[in-house]
Amino acid sequence: MTGFGDRILGLGLLVLAVAYGWAAQQWPEPFGGAESVGPETFPTILSVVLVAGSLYLMIKPDPDAQWPVGKSALELVISVMVLVIYALLLEPLGFIIATTLAVGTLSWRMGAAPKRAFLTGLISAVVVFVLFNYGLSLSLPLGVLEVN
Amino acid sequence: METLGFLMEGFAVALTPYNLMFALFGAFVGTLIGCLPGLGPANGVAILIPLAFTLGLPPETAMILLTAVYAGAMYGGRISSILLNIPGDEPAMMTCLDGYPMAQKGRAADALAVSAIASFAGGLIGTIGLIMLAPVLAKFALTFGPAEYFALFLLAFATLGGITGKNPMKTVVAATLGIMISTVGIDISTGTQRYTFGVLELYEGIDFILAIVGLFAISELLFFVEHRMGGGREKMTVGKLSLSLKELVTTIPTQLRGGVLGFISGVLPGAGASLGSFISYTLEKQVVGRRGKFGEGDIRGVVAPEAGNNGASSGALVPMLTLGVPGSGTTAVLLAMLISLNITPGPLMFTQNADIVWGVIAALLIGNVLLLVLNIPLVGFFVKLLSVPPMYLLPIVTMVAFVGIYSISHSTFDLYFMVAFGVAGYFLRKLEIPLVPIILGLLLGPEMEKNLGHAMVLSDGDWSILWASPLAMGLWIVAGLGLVLPYLIGPLLRRRMNAAMKESPVSD
Repeated sequence: MTGFGDRILGLGLLVLAVAYGWAAQQWPEPFGGAESVGPETFPTILSVVLVAGSLYLMIKPDPDAQWPVGKSALELVISVMVLVIYALLLEPLGFIIATTLAVGTLSWRMGAAPKRAFLTGLISAVVVFVLFNYGLSLSLPLGVLEVN
Repeated sequence: METLGFLMEGFAVALTPYNLMFALFGAFVGTLIGCLPGLGPANGVAILIPLAFTLGLPPETAMILLTAVYAGAMYGGRISSILLNIPGDEPAMMTCLDGYPMAQKGRAADALAVSAIASFAGGLIGTIGLIMLAPVLAKFALTFGPAEYFALFLLAFATLGGITGKNPMKTVVAATLGIMISTVGIDISTGTQRYTFGVLELYEGIDFILAIVGLFAISELLFFVEHRMGGGREKMTVGKLSLSLKELVTTIPTQLRGGVLGFISGVLPGAGASLGSFISYTLEKQVVGRRGKFGEGDIRGVVAPEAGNNGASSGALVPMLTLGVPGSGTTAVLLAMLISLNITPGPLMFTQNADIVWGVIAALLIGNVLLLVLNIPLVGFFVKLLSVPPMYLLPIVTMVAFVGIYSISHSTFDLYFMVAFGVAGYFLRKLEIPLVPIILGLLLGPEMEKNLGHAMVLSDGDWSILWASPLAMGLWIVAGLGLVLPYLIGPLLRRRMNAAMKESPVSD
């Protein structure tokens, strides 16, 4: 079946639009009485527009895109996980170690030889760290490398 | 000559050593961004915004930096078009047609040099047009009331997809999503909490810089991962310059035509730089007729689109500076910088922040000169960088984006948010939902709501005020056309552009 992607997107947006519009109706009347344009007016208009748009997508969907399957999908999931873990470890491990790991893993997964990938990570991490901390005096966390 | 006086003041701002240094830096980085694979101009400018922020640059310097990057990116796009037959950005597509054949004939150096000169001419013509047109338009825009502004914002959204856009309904959906995201947070006029779900970080709303960097940079990384385009490209040799002065002189009429046409299509809503370079190229082909060897490495086939796209990039600044309504992705990102510097874009900027506006315009002129000087000797260096494989480059770019966002707030919460936007951006791009209207919605949403509110207060709740004045009515009609025209003539134009691409024997 063609246009599956657009139909699912349309359905998702329809749910979002209705929820968004419904939530707007629940807000208490602002202090000082209701005016012709309250906090809920604009969101209500938006939700109506999005309902129309999502219905259109479901009725007249475009042909489907080529979705990644198998290995490429796995690579994508890995990349997103690397980014999340990078954000998670940035402060505890410190910028240099976290960046070496993140940039290294990413370029390795994108096809670089592991050694060169992690070396690229380490060099770029040190360069950016030095540039930011000493050149621009913006402190990046040093994490476990910190010596008191 | 009021304008000239302002321009002189602008030069005084832009020529201070501090600002000049940033203009040079911006021009250099911009060319890099333009020529590197996987780093479009909008993307590149977006990544630099947080850096400009954390450096604590004064507003005029920050804007000069980003404008120089913007101009530089347009210069850089041509390098990979000519050498690799891969356009660095969309407007550089037409440059491939004759640029790559020239390179194959061993005239790569000539093609690069002449395209740099054409870019300069186009940029210069565009900037002169900007200087003449912007103050007039700004004065005219002062007569706009809230209802007219509301209609103008609608027009901006409606024409953003461009006449060549595929599915205008998807532009509408994207814009609505963007505006919806902008409503998160505490309502300015009433103090009502909207869609915050009690999360403290959401009270101030979602920072659009986060959204922009996430949507552009992270989704780009994911696209590269998916297509496994990590490998490098073959090395290119540039060769010696054999361009004669006589040959250069013969291209001057082409440069003028291209620059003017490009500027016009840059100013007009819905046209943009891609159409600018396309129109310049096709017109040139018709003017020259059979005498030219278009598609086989005609020098005018390189000059026309390059002059066109640089003229258009200056032209696109006209609506952004005067009305606060950008017409392209990159100018939208520039607008984001203005808003985050607490400058209200629009006609008032010309009186209230004259130093910034004219500083930026002067910087554009200086930037063009710098770029020309920079591009001819350094072309070998940029070519070398082109062979850096994306598998090293993109992770580093992503890391710089992380650092930029982190250094604004020192909060990892923002980083998660950015990754989430990146994943969303990936899915939306896959589904062919354009990202630029989302960004524009995020930026213009609050203004739109404010103007709607003001209009309603003025009319005492009568909705018909929104289309009561002839001007507002006209804007509504153009907005409507912007949505309908792509259905009628869009397929035709797209077919022609594709046909032009196929005609050239080398493109594959």
